[in-house]
Amino acid sequence: MARMSRLDRIAIQLILIVGSVIMAYPLLFGVLASLSTLESYNNSTWIPIPNPLTFENYAVLFTRQSNILLWVVNTLLRIGWYVLVPGTIAVLCGYVFTRLTFRGRDTVFLLLLTSMMVPGIVYYVPTYVMVARWPLVGGNDMWGQGGSGFINLWPAMLLPGLVNVFYIFLMRQTFYSIPKDFEEAARVDGANTPQVLWNVYLPMLKPAITVMVIFQFVAIWNDYLWPLVVAGGNDDIWPIALGFQRIMLSGASFKGSRGGSITDYPFAFTMATVATLPTVLLFLFLQRYFVEGVQGFALKG
Amino acid sequence: MTVTTTNIQFPTPQPISGWQRWRFRHRQALEAWIILIPVLLYYALFYIVPVLLNVGLSFTRWNGITGFPAWIGVNNYLQYTRGGYPTIILNTALFAVSALLIQTTVAFFIAVLLNQKVFGRGLYRALWYVPTLTSAAIMAQVAVIFISPFDGVLNSILTSLGRDPVIWTVEGNWMRAFIVAFTIWRGIGSPVVLFLAALQGIHQELYEAAMVDGANAWAMLRRITIPLLRPMILFVFVTGIIGGFQIFEAVLLISKGGPQNMTNVMLLQIYNDAFVNTNMGVASAGAVVMALILLWFSLTGMRLMQAGRVEGE
Repeated sequence: MARMSRLDRIAIQLILIVGSVIMAYPLLFGVLASLSTLESYNNSTWIPIPNPLTFENYAVLFTRQSNILLWVVNTLLRIGWYVLVPGTIAVLCGYVFTRLTFRGRDTVFLLLLTSMMVPGIVYYVPTYVMVARWPLVGGNDMWGQGGSGFINLWPAMLLPGLVNVFYIFLMRQTFYSIPKDFEEAARVDGANTPQVLWNVYLPMLKPAITVMVIFQFVAIWNDYLWPLVVAGGNDDIWPIALGFQRIMLSGASFKGSRGGSITDYPFAFTMATVATLPTVLLFLFLQRYFVEGVQGFALKG
Repeated sequence: MTVTTTNIQFPTPQPISGWQRWRFRHRQALEAWIILIPVLLYYALFYIVPVLLNVGLSFTRWNGITGFPAWIGVNNYLQYTRGGYPTIILNTALFAVSALLIQTTVAFFIAVLLNQKVFGRGLYRALWYVPTLTSAAIMAQVAVIFISPFDGVLNSILTSLGRDPVIWTVEGNWMRAFIVAFTIWRGIGSPVVLFLAALQGIHQELYEAAMVDGANAWAMLRRITIPLLRPMILFVFVTGIIGGFQIFEAVLLISKGGPQNMTNVMLLQIYNDAFVNTNMGVASAGAVVMALILLWFSLTGMRLMQAGRVEGE
């Protein structure tokens, strides 16, 4: 639709601006509130005006709430784990399912694919039971009785979801798009399989790996339900989403963080901003990969 | 090219053991299974066992903490026909369908507008996608501040406009509407990106040819854009309904299912049955009911997509 009158263009811009303002409003509100004093926040209606502009909320958050850095570290550790292990498995399986011929290859791949048909909720209760009744850990006897297994311990947060079938699928598609000639050339030069994977394929898989890393980053950074279920009682291993949500919920613990008596909303918005910023920045810098990733999800259908 | 015989010194062949020969011949299978055996063991333990365990538990009564599950037949499933449970399924469907319809329609038109090479397209696309990147739990907790009855943002805006404040925690339909709005806000980014990508795959010549024939914008939308986007629309609908049924954090943190169960949904009930009421059996039965509903949606969706593909050829 190439030809458009000036009026059409203005109308389109107007609709887009109104829509985008609605979409951005809660986020903008949060950022501005986090930069406001409690007084200027309470005097605002539509949107807080940070007058005077203050970073005190951030200073208080990072100095007085001692757990925050720990929660950030916990989240980053989890992200590292959930990038490295499922990523390595996906790359290796992608290689296995495209470059090696052996009996049963398609059967095994189909077996893995079937799990994509099962919604996540089916795994929650039984995986919780397995983790809680894991024999011989956390005070459990060999029948899984008597203790609490891995509940409130790190393994509960790191065990499920290490074989990610969607990423295996993604890597398989990517391997298919790479000609076999590169590997053959390397083999002639005497490279073995680990060398082929590391020196030949890994550089060529970079875009697909980037997509995988950023989607895992967003998923684990925001992960809330599983940590709540298996680690709700141990705030030493909480990730940031759970920790901040808990502080925001119990307004009490940040009431009076500056000696005030009413709920300190600007402080709550500061936490929301800190919890949201990393994924948004990641997106702004790597937008291209996000678009590719979202399209990749569509491809599987 | 002539083959010239030169005096290359071939190395004296080393004696090859049976094991080396076997390993050479089966290199590929060997490498494959070295990788696949641990993967499959893990897969069995964390994917196959849980599914079987879930189905098994759904026929038992067990608190998940002490003792062992006791067989009670289909009682847990009958539970889903009694009391508040049918309402919960209806609520879930209501949320999923209404959010999906509004979200897909708005996303489609926003994508069509963004496809007009408007000024600032990248910025708009980013703005529509950013809410999708936020944590549902954190944003739900922010939403609680927005709808707080006395000092919440929305009510202070309503009051400043001269309207009566809404007590969201009492007025169930307002709460429903708010949760649907929240869901759309967090969910609309992906369909916008997907529709935009699909639109960019349509050849401009089609529109130019239509314009030569005197078609107006509406006719082009109806006759070119929508038919060509049919597979993507179908995909967005199927994934959207499956995602919509799994609404959870918004309800858990904003409304807790209230008032009077009006916003309770299946995932929240499963969560409450399992971890609050410690009734693993009813929770597992709920997960099976949910899985069957979603399976029906994805099978229907796949059938429709298949039909569309055949039709298109």
